[in-house]
Amino acid sequence: MITSAVFALVAGLLVILSRQVNGRLSLSSTPLISSFWNHCVGFVVLSALALAIGGLLPSNAGEIPWWVFTGGALGVVFVASSSWLLPRIGAVNSTLLVIAGQMVCGVVFDMLRGEPVTLWAAGLGIVMILAGMALTQRRG
Amino acid sequence: MSFPSAPRANPLHLLAAFATGGLLSLAVFINGEAARYGGPMFSSWLAHGVGMVVSAIVLAVIWRRQRAAKAAAESEAGKAPLWAYIGGVLGAATVMLTSTAVNSPLALAGTLALGLVGQVVLSLAADFWGLLGLPKRRLGWRDGAAVLLIGGGSLVIILFGLG
Repeated sequence: MITSAVFALVAGLLVILSRQVNGRLSLSSTPLISSFWNHCVGFVVLSALALAIGGLLPSNAGEIPWWVFTGGALGVVFVASSSWLLPRIGAVNSTLLVIAGQMVCGVVFDMLRGEPVTLWAAGLGIVMILAGMALTQRRG
Repeated sequence: MSFPSAPRANPLHLLAAFATGGLLSLAVFINGEAARYGGPMFSSWLAHGVGMVVSAIVLAVIWRRQRAAKAAAESEAGKAPLWAYIGGVLGAATVMLTSTAVNSPLALAGTLALGLVGQVVLSLAADFWGLLGLPKRRLGWRDGAAVLLIGGGSLVIILFGLG
């Protein structure tokens, strides 16, 4: 449990570290070039790891619907736009506003899919998030 | 080497960052579907492979403009240090850590909540000290209040709102 908690916490640190590193690369190139290297290096590392461990490709790979393959394309836009934003609005604003979009859209998305959503908590959370977003906009 | 301080977010930035987050929630759902077929490692491998091909194609199409922009950026910020290329390694490690944590008693909610805490803490440090060659930003009370509202609101949704 403690190990898992540390894993989850470190994962959060790595998200930001990776964003900073990609943001630094895009300062000396472009957001799209930075996104390309991010995916290229990640692909090489994961391929090497998969070769070492084995059993990467699922036996039912042929049944995977086409749209499941579009996740990587969204990732390209995600990394490029994060790299573009970071030097412009800083790490805290990037993190907060991206999380805000993820949470609010996540709730809407779950509701559209008919997943169970506890309305009072989702509503309260969204109101708090929107208020926080307004605070990022004015000079402090 | 020094970079100017990052300015405040304006409405265009807010919209772009919010949309980026929305895109992320869609990507998380899609990659989660891939993981249902072949596990988290396969899902991440697939997303990185597809991302590599897609970005290479787009780069090839607009290469002339990208090359000019890169040359301009390099003359201003200098050549990128070698460590600036390891973002993909960090991303790959993130997938392994989170997929382990999700399958522990923490479950998805606990993993997301702790990950959010980690993200906010390191972002504050990154702005405060200007970590990894990016601009420093002075943090004021508004940043603190925004952290509490957005972080708190997200925790309320993660811990009580879903399911």
